[in-house]
Amino acid sequence: MTDKTHQEMLQKYAEAIVKVGLNIRTGQRLIITLMATRGVPHQFAPLVREVAKAAYGMGAKYVEVLWGDEEMLRLRAQYAPKDSFDEYPTHTIDAIMNMINNGDALLSISGANPDLLGGLDPEVVGMMQTRHLNIASKISEQVTTNAINWCVVAAAGEEWAKKVFPDLSVEKAQEKLWKAIFETTRIDQPDPVDAWKKHIESMKERARYLQSKKFTALHYVGSGTDFTLGLPDGHRWISAQSMAQNGVAFTANMPTEEVFTLPDRNRADGVVTSTFPLSYGGTLIEDFQITFKNGRIVKVNAKKGEAALQKLVDTDEGSRHLGEVALVPASSPIAQRGHLFYNTLFDENASCHIAIGRAYRFTLTGGEELNDEEFISAGGNVSLNHVDFMIGSPKMDIDGVHTDGTSEPVMRQGEWAIKL
Amino acid sequence: MSEQEFDRMLAKYADVVVKVGLNLRKGQKLSIRAIIDDAPFIRKVAESAYKAGAQYVDILWSDENIIRTRFEHADPETFSEIPNWLFTRYEEHYQNGDAELAVYSSDPDLLAGIDPELIAKERKARAQKFEPLRKYENVSNWCVVATASPAWARKVFPGISIKEAQSKLWEAIFNSCRIDLPDPVQAWQDHTDTLKKYKNYLSEKHYSSLHYTAPGTDLTVGLPEKHIWQGAEASFKNGITCTVNIPTEEVFTLPHKDQVNGTVMATRPLNLSGALIEDFSITFENGRAIKVTAQKGEEDLRKLIETDDTACQLGEIALVPNSSPISQRGHLFYNTLFDENASCHIALGNAYRDTIVGGEDMTNEEFQESGGNKSLIHVDFMIGSVEMNIDGIKADGSHEPIMRKGEWAFKV
Repeated sequence: MTDKTHQEMLQKYAEAIVKVGLNIRTGQRLIITLMATRGVPHQFAPLVREVAKAAYGMGAKYVEVLWGDEEMLRLRAQYAPKDSFDEYPTHTIDAIMNMINNGDALLSISGANPDLLGGLDPEVVGMMQTRHLNIASKISEQVTTNAINWCVVAAAGEEWAKKVFPDLSVEKAQEKLWKAIFETTRIDQPDPVDAWKKHIESMKERARYLQSKKFTALHYVGSGTDFTLGLPDGHRWISAQSMAQNGVAFTANMPTEEVFTLPDRNRADGVVTSTFPLSYGGTLIEDFQITFKNGRIVKVNAKKGEAALQKLVDTDEGSRHLGEVALVPASSPIAQRGHLFYNTLFDENASCHIAIGRAYRFTLTGGEELNDEEFISAGGNVSLNHVDFMIGSPKMDIDGVHTDGTSEPVMRQGEWAIKL
Repeated sequence: MSEQEFDRMLAKYADVVVKVGLNLRKGQKLSIRAIIDDAPFIRKVAESAYKAGAQYVDILWSDENIIRTRFEHADPETFSEIPNWLFTRYEEHYQNGDAELAVYSSDPDLLAGIDPELIAKERKARAQKFEPLRKYENVSNWCVVATASPAWARKVFPGISIKEAQSKLWEAIFNSCRIDLPDPVQAWQDHTDTLKKYKNYLSEKHYSSLHYTAPGTDLTVGLPEKHIWQGAEASFKNGITCTVNIPTEEVFTLPHKDQVNGTVMATRPLNLSGALIEDFSITFENGRAIKVTAQKGEEDLRKLIETDDTACQLGEIALVPNSSPISQRGHLFYNTLFDENASCHIALGNAYRDTIVGGEDMTNEEFQESGGNKSLIHVDFMIGSVEMNIDGIKADGSHEPIMRKGEWAFKV
């Protein structure tokens, strides 16, 4: 890819992000950040600049970019006084909250170094992470209730690209990862915005069909998987596009191939076997199985990383229950690429998945209005975690179960069994 | 310079900034303002600061490209709005007595071609928003330094590759900041001692005014009765003394805001948030600029002095010999931190409180009555040259030479 072409692709990508992802409105402000690194990594500047230009072009009032230097987290962990890790200036958190309360738009650009804190003192990393999660939780709350139009996209960061394509030079790896990003986000198509409109429409049809069925449960059968998952009354199937409380229809993830809702936190029974490795807290967990009884995780085992998996489910009571169920055909364009991305934004769109932990309020009718207790009684799950893991494969069959006990095929051999 | 050697120099520079520039105390927090191009240097500063016992290093990054994008594409109506979180961020750091480092490596042409009216509007909105922070100017240790950012290097050394230009500019920075000496911290101690001798000499003279003459310049500047000459180091209310500019070659004080008369000709271009003003002169009467002319950027200059009622009055006069190491490099830097240390200069706008006896404790009215200027702006411009002579005039009307042909005319 020549530089000129890459620049043109970045412009098209920025335009799709602003028009489809955020659907930014005239007079809105836009804040651009990445929570994990306390700000957008500097290496994403070429994309950030194009997004700013596109946002102003759409009539944005002000674009606030909160930059974060990935290296600064490492330097702090290495050299700062051991008793100083409680320090957390909240200015940027306040800035984001101020803009959310004002109804402004929020963009996160992921793709930072996946091994950023690797090799550092785990105790220090733990202290920094806990402090950050606690302070930043008010932003997650706003985002998971769709308070405003928000979007998560990716940029091909150097270290991430090396992780995905370890045998290539950094330059070639980034080039290849950008190509994957542009193709899976439809930026390589002649009219990406129009391609997204069509994609959103077809995803919506799937969601509408599933919604009309009002299944009471899904039954999964696959290699090593035989599992029934209850769906609560009032569950809402969500796809590509959502409506924010500020009245703006937006697409929260680019790419997105999933149709998802919340499971009943008290109705999951059987065994699921993962079909992709899971990267959690910098550890890779592979070939794992989870056994459920009455919605609760009663047993985990893994060929690799079992301790990390155990630690995850022990975080809090909510981490022993599920918060999301998502359907993605095995023929999804991301699955077709045939490799792992080590980035949830991509990997979760390559396979049917479920999530341990917190459920999104907007996946339950009226969920935004409920307090935690009410949400839990309605079948919703509350937790510090929300960790997706992949269970889909070309061998998976899924049935939808009706209240009268009859069932009908939803997926066969990993593909939709529903004709629209 | 090999990559390894450059890395070593950058670490030495960071050490000088932390030890001499900030004189950072164990347990202090450090607030830094920088552009993303400064990252390699800022990482060294953070490492050095943490090793010196810093509690936390909080960095406010910006990208100049995004700033220009806003000027090019945003609705002009929106320019009066400055995000409040920036204000509270600064205020909290000041109230906490944290150290502050500002890195000034701006692209001198950042706002070239942008409507001067829009630039002035944004500058005024920003100045008004941050004006209440002025009261913290003497509260805690701060320092201003620079890095060889690509856009700045290209402007200083046009016609060569950006990489070569950056390497030349780094060499100039390391040299002007004494980083290339075997013991930079000791070299700074010696330099500070010398500047102290000059400022003490001038303070003890109690001149009532200075008279500048040079081609195009014939200017008399009255000095308030209790003016103090400052230089190199400043002392702050948190008890820390440090070197607020690296590099620094100047000694300076405040003029009496109402006692400036005559015409002064600039000897170097003025870089005003990216708009360059060249070959300009200003005529003063009873302290106020009554006429400005410029070969280039006259409109920007006029907008500047119209920022508020006192932007047309002076707030600083500074003396720098023409043989200063920065001047000797023989080229412009298009960056006030460097150019002001290559030449005698004066500043339009606000005066520093520590340049008058008791200034930090005066009310605004008392400060102004004593001759201090109070304005939203503080903009230095260069007036020194090899052809400049400066006399000190005593209360009895007698004259003494201070500078001749751009050099000190007295010995300390």
